[in-house]
Amino acid sequence: MITRFWAESATAVATMAFGLIIVYGALEFGIGWDSSGPQPGAFPFYTGLLVALASLGTLALTIGRRIAGNAGLQESFLDAERFKRVASFFLPLLAFVVLSVTLGMYVATILYLVFAMRFQGGYGWLPSLATAFGAAAFFYLALEKFFQIGLLKGPLEPLLGL
Amino acid sequence: MKNLCIAAGLAAASVSFAGAAQAWQPTKPVEFVVTSGPGGGTDNFARVIQSIITKNKLFDQPIVVVNKGGGSGAEGYVYGRQNKSDPHRVIFGTNNAYLLPYVAKLGYKYSDLTPVAALALDEFIIWVNGSAPYNDAKSYIEAVKAKPGTFKMAGSQSKDTDQTLTAMIQLATGAKWIYVPFQGGGAAAVQLAGAHVDSNTNNPNENVGQWKAGQVKPLCVFSPVRLAKSDPVFEGKGWGDIQTCKEAGLPLETFQMPRTVWLPADVPADAVTFYADIMEKVSKTPEWQEFVSRTAQTGRFMKGKEFADFVAKDDAANAKVFEAEGWVVK
Amino acid sequence: MDNVASLMHGFSVALTTHHILLMMAGVLLGILVGVLPGLGAPNGVSLLLPLTFSMDPVSAIILLTSLYWGALFGGSTTSILFNIPGEPSSVATTFDGHPMAKQGRATEALSFAFLSAGFGAMAGVILITLLSGWVAKFALKFSSPEYFAVYFMTFASFIGLGGASPLKAIVSMGVGFALASIGMDSVSGNVRLTFEFDALLGGVSFLIAVIGLFGIGELIITMEEGLKFEGVQAKVRISDVLRTAAKLPRYWVALLRSSLIGIWMGITPGGPTAASFMSYAMAKRTSRNPAKFGKGEPEGVIAPETADHAAGSSAMLPMLALGIPGSATAAVMMGGLMIWGLNPGPTLFTDRPDFVWGLIASMYLGNVVAVIVVLATVPLFASILRIPFAIIGPIIVAICFIGAFTVASKSFDIWLALAFGVVGYLFKKLDYPIAPLVLAMVIGDKAEDAFRQSMIFSQGSLSIFWSNALVSTLMAIGVVLLLLPLVGMIAQRLRGRTAQSTV
Repeated sequence: MITRFWAESATAVATMAFGLIIVYGALEFGIGWDSSGPQPGAFPFYTGLLVALASLGTLALTIGRRIAGNAGLQESFLDAERFKRVASFFLPLLAFVVLSVTLGMYVATILYLVFAMRFQGGYGWLPSLATAFGAAAFFYLALEKFFQIGLLKGPLEPLLGL
Repeated sequence: MKNLCIAAGLAAASVSFAGAAQAWQPTKPVEFVVTSGPGGGTDNFARVIQSIITKNKLFDQPIVVVNKGGGSGAEGYVYGRQNKSDPHRVIFGTNNAYLLPYVAKLGYKYSDLTPVAALALDEFIIWVNGSAPYNDAKSYIEAVKAKPGTFKMAGSQSKDTDQTLTAMIQLATGAKWIYVPFQGGGAAAVQLAGAHVDSNTNNPNENVGQWKAGQVKPLCVFSPVRLAKSDPVFEGKGWGDIQTCKEAGLPLETFQMPRTVWLPADVPADAVTFYADIMEKVSKTPEWQEFVSRTAQTGRFMKGKEFADFVAKDDAANAKVFEAEGWVVK
Repeated sequence: MDNVASLMHGFSVALTTHHILLMMAGVLLGILVGVLPGLGAPNGVSLLLPLTFSMDPVSAIILLTSLYWGALFGGSTTSILFNIPGEPSSVATTFDGHPMAKQGRATEALSFAFLSAGFGAMAGVILITLLSGWVAKFALKFSSPEYFAVYFMTFASFIGLGGASPLKAIVSMGVGFALASIGMDSVSGNVRLTFEFDALLGGVSFLIAVIGLFGIGELIITMEEGLKFEGVQAKVRISDVLRTAAKLPRYWVALLRSSLIGIWMGITPGGPTAASFMSYAMAKRTSRNPAKFGKGEPEGVIAPETADHAAGSSAMLPMLALGIPGSATAAVMMGGLMIWGLNPGPTLFTDRPDFVWGLIASMYLGNVVAVIVVLATVPLFASILRIPFAIIGPIIVAICFIGAFTVASKSFDIWLALAFGVVGYLFKKLDYPIAPLVLAMVIGDKAEDAFRQSMIFSQGSLSIFWSNALVSTLMAIGVVLLLLPLVGMIAQRLRGRTAQSTV
């Protein structure tokens, strides 16, 4: 079980890291103030710094509350059951993205929709396949044919002559 | 290093034109990669060509236009690098194709592109506010020289054509402006009309609306010859009545921006010939000529050696300014 | 009134069967691009542009502007139904629109959104009709310091609005600012914060962030709760639409205030997105029940929608009269104007009255057509919610990712959308306000540019922000907006009360 304390702390550390990366990236361009106003790095530098400091503040506040025995922080952020639900949604999302960049977006859409409907939604093969191919066909016609925007394609589409 | 790249491009171009057999044809939809956002000058350039090709059925495959204007166009050229040897991606740009790598670290080199053709030259004019007391370039420059660092010159973003031209004028005449970069020529035009700045170096098309209303006036054009005659725009004066800057006594003759077409590196020589021929046909259509005259550009088709020579010369002239101004990134 | 006579002439130009059909086609296409996140009005307009080269300019602009109205309406639809803003300017509509849909009041939310949007658009067009000359002159007074002051006002109206931890609000806004500064910096000509990573050259698109933070983040939360959309109405009847319409006049104060904010942001460079945020903020601040906002308050839908459309339509004026595009879509249309041989500028009104007044008349007609068309689609869209979540959920996922890709045809953006989804989930669960992040991304880089341009003007002196009556007034309003909530907060603290509200 993840408590709220750990979720708060980890997020604060992550935003702090983000802020510091921005600070580091901004240093390249000069952060001072010259005759024509702030140098190109100044705005990113100070926003990065602000993010890092505010994150540090959140972290300190969270730890302080924990020491003071704040009950809210002991509450569950994500218990086992919820974690399972989030993971069972998020992992297919990740798979969708990986499939999109390897096999193309149409194949990824079809596989993902079939998987989600057949195995997670409990629908039969026929409605699952019909929805998946219907959606892919709609995207193909609307984007590729009508708006002339090509989606990512993988090795399969050329074989089908699309 | 840079000159080596240009030489390589030149070599590639001349090889392309050596084997000019009409063998290559597009076999799938052709992507027109636009190195500006929607609505920008390069965007109009590519879309007009798209419509001319489609209307006159110059080739059979459909054309898809994609805007990749990030990093002032670098995004489109990087895309060209990523699609090395794919002759179905035609990239539209300006002289930024070979100038951008000087001034910023952008993830592509000029040698990642194969030159195809240029179709037009966009002109640059010095404009001042309509109620300013100057009627010729000479007196304006003298006024700027008298009070260095107080006059404001507006233009598009830093280290781009407008600021390069401003730097050239400064180097040639000894005048000194405060250069204020805006998001584009349109914003620079309005700032001048509202008298927030003293001058800009906009292309004719970017300032014509304000000129018609008498809010701004042209002083001289950086072209070897006067612009083509046109209908009067304001108070009886048309494009052809604007003095060239040489006539006006400025020690700076030419500054023009080519509208260019490129392919990725390592494409078949036949494909380069194919697109160059298509572009040549486009440049002869009445629709194209109408577009060029309406936007007061100078129609000039260049391909092969002529284009490569132009690029080499333009590259050298700009590089000199970049060096002098300290803009070159290491 | 010369303008009214010209307008009547414009109606005679615009009011033909051919043009009405074009309007309907444009609106329907617009709804389609508006509904798909990522694909927005600028894409739709640039797609149709080549078609218009062979049309006469009046017909062409009617088609393109109708598409724009349609897209604005379509964008609100997905905001309300799925928490996915189809257009940047409909982000603020999600704050109360989506909660309403979740409570089973989708029909009401959609009807309020469309009707108030229509009202806002009309207000904008009426302004153009009556005050075009004056506004064009006024807008010429704006330079970089005034631009900065307008952005400052927008931020000021939004800061201190939420009841979330101020530290978290600062993190959220700072992250937005930082993301906005990635890519080409036009003031210096440098490419910033890309870490030599090609995919970041074009910056981080605000649309990708919105798709991830709102669309995917919301889906993850819905899944975690194990919830489906609750309390979906058994039947959607056209009478619900009419009943909502009858309730609209009650919100006349909100309608008027939002129209004014929208028009103001449309003719100054704020733009529709900033207008909708500011209008939402002002509605919440002036409300007697600010605590209801964010939980399904109709005024929280009406305010941003009215301002969005008022700004969208009044932004056409600076485009025509000055050649300043007030939005990304207007920039594409301006490209079209030039290709058609029309040069935007002060004389366009006198040179081509047929075109200008035909366009203005078509804006009246086009918006009426648009409202009728979209209201007719309300039952259709609202019934989408009756599709089981096991089907519609995955389809929304696919639409989000495909939408993310269509923004710039970059596979990196799909990863980015997923990452933003995780951020959206964490931020929402940990009570980080997301709105400041989005607002900072929309106008952060513009505000920075305007500030630095001002500093170039003044050679580094801040006094330029008090250098004339216009900019001083704008800055003063901004400072007052900034300080008011602080004063209020201190007063409440002194009285020992705790403020409870969230964005």
